[in-house]
Amino acid sequence: MKRYPCSGCSLLCDDIIVKSDGLFIEEVIGACLKGKERFDQVNAQNRITSPMIRKNNELVNASWEEALAKTVEIIKNSSAPLLYGFSNVTCEAQRAGMDLAKEINGFIDSNASICQGKILNKARSQGINLTTITEIINKVDLIILWGANPAETIPRLLNKILFSRGKFRMTGREIKTLVIIDPVKTASFRVMGVRDLALIIQPDKDIELIQMLKEECCSADSIPSGGVAGIDKSDLKRLLLHLTGAENGVIILGQGVIQPHANYDLIEELLDLLQLINTRQAKGRISLLLLGGHFNMAGFDHVALSSYGVSGKLQFENKKLVKSEDTIVSKINKENFDCSIIVGTDPISHLPHSLSSKLSKKPLILIDNHNSATSRIADVVLPTAITGIESSGLAYRIDQVPVELKKILNPPNNIPSDEELLNQLIEKLNGGAK
Amino acid sequence: MDFILNTIRKIDNDQVKEHSFGNEQSLEENLAISFINPKDFDKLNLVSSLHLKISNNQRNIIVKIEKDENVPEGTIMIPVSIWSNQLTEILNDELVYKNIVVSVEATREPILKFKEIIQKIRGIE
Repeated sequence: MKRYPCSGCSLLCDDIIVKSDGLFIEEVIGACLKGKERFDQVNAQNRITSPMIRKNNELVNASWEEALAKTVEIIKNSSAPLLYGFSNVTCEAQRAGMDLAKEINGFIDSNASICQGKILNKARSQGINLTTITEIINKVDLIILWGANPAETIPRLLNKILFSRGKFRMTGREIKTLVIIDPVKTASFRVMGVRDLALIIQPDKDIELIQMLKEECCSADSIPSGGVAGIDKSDLKRLLLHLTGAENGVIILGQGVIQPHANYDLIEELLDLLQLINTRQAKGRISLLLLGGHFNMAGFDHVALSSYGVSGKLQFENKKLVKSEDTIVSKINKENFDCSIIVGTDPISHLPHSLSSKLSKKPLILIDNHNSATSRIADVVLPTAITGIESSGLAYRIDQVPVELKKILNPPNNIPSDEELLNQLIEKLNGGAK
Repeated sequence: MDFILNTIRKIDNDQVKEHSFGNEQSLEENLAISFINPKDFDKLNLVSSLHLKISNNQRNIIVKIEKDENVPEGTIMIPVSIWSNQLTEILNDELVYKNIVVSVEATREPILKFKEIIQKIRGIE
């Protein structure tokens, strides 16, 4: 039995015990539901173990030679390829994806740009503190979940940050106050105790709460008697006291607060509030943690920054990085691409119909290890090993901390890793030389 | 009747799990589903054998319906999936997954099949 990090979600728990003989996994101890599912994917019935190409409108098994030849043909016929996904692969594979994008003068972006990347860039530009899991365990006395439901998205997060005992405090859960702001009483509410604060906000009224908190930041005297956004006055007073009195607080932001609005930018308003509280805080500070589900959603920005000096999307022309105002959404929406290479994600399921229908009109190459809605419309499907079980590499945890994922088993049919496959594609495009 | 649509992640209605381990039937059972407040369930004169037709300006989906007292009145929740994303939108080049105004009605029509959605996406009506 050995300890391995888990690639089931972006928490990358490094305390999972796996019993394996190198051929099969016999037992997995300590994994949550998502982690267990990740290990079960090795033998999942919808696992893709052979390359496939579309013939007569049907996906059929093909040899690697035939599938790679078809892939190269699609790419060579393209003048504006789009590369997307890269949140469920290692940093090494992300780097290989960027190299491929450079080689074929493509546009590359990750899932982060439609998820937590939006907050990250704004937080960085405002100089907001991001925090780490270890810091939360050791120091935090106030945890606010805002539009976030980690109990169902990152199942062990609350175990780790709420119930663990910190190094620099005598107690753990007893001194940690949990505040949840959400329009729905989610599964995360079930861990709340008597001194915690459950705030059921009216849907889409977060802006009213933020504006009130900004106005009343250090004085609770003039909170409207009827409350704000469905939250009553006494609860608002308690929230203000917690925000201004915490020695170390963290706001954990979920998808609920990163939605765009026509007349205001909720993220900027929230970051402004954070700055205001931290400026007025006498003894402590409030920092941020961004929830993102895919196991290496945070990695893409790090790799882009270290490889090309910019974070997020990259556009190449004449094998050089050029500036682009486009995003993955605008690229697809304007149909400013003529083929797509999708890596480790399922955009046909997770993008709105108006985008998925445009994506499906152009040749699509999918690199993934299991069936999905995207595999149903792909022209070529190239299977890869399951990262963190059948291949190794670096990933960045939810709090931007790097974690080395390890290989436990050999993949079936000698399937390559994402990194190996992407490098192989570059070689093929170069006629054999990388 | 108009509702606010919010797409949500639920560990028991997870699209990655269904695509990895399930089949088209389990996909439809676990993802073509919506959750509304019991009071709204009554207002819509729903019974368990009926389905819900949820429409925005351009498209509609037909899904199963379940009562959930944790869902606020006037709101409808659907797990993130290919079904919910037939109704999600784009605003200023950003994706809108929550707070979408939709119109909702009870129907006896069958649930929208996974294959039908794929055909619609591919432009095969």
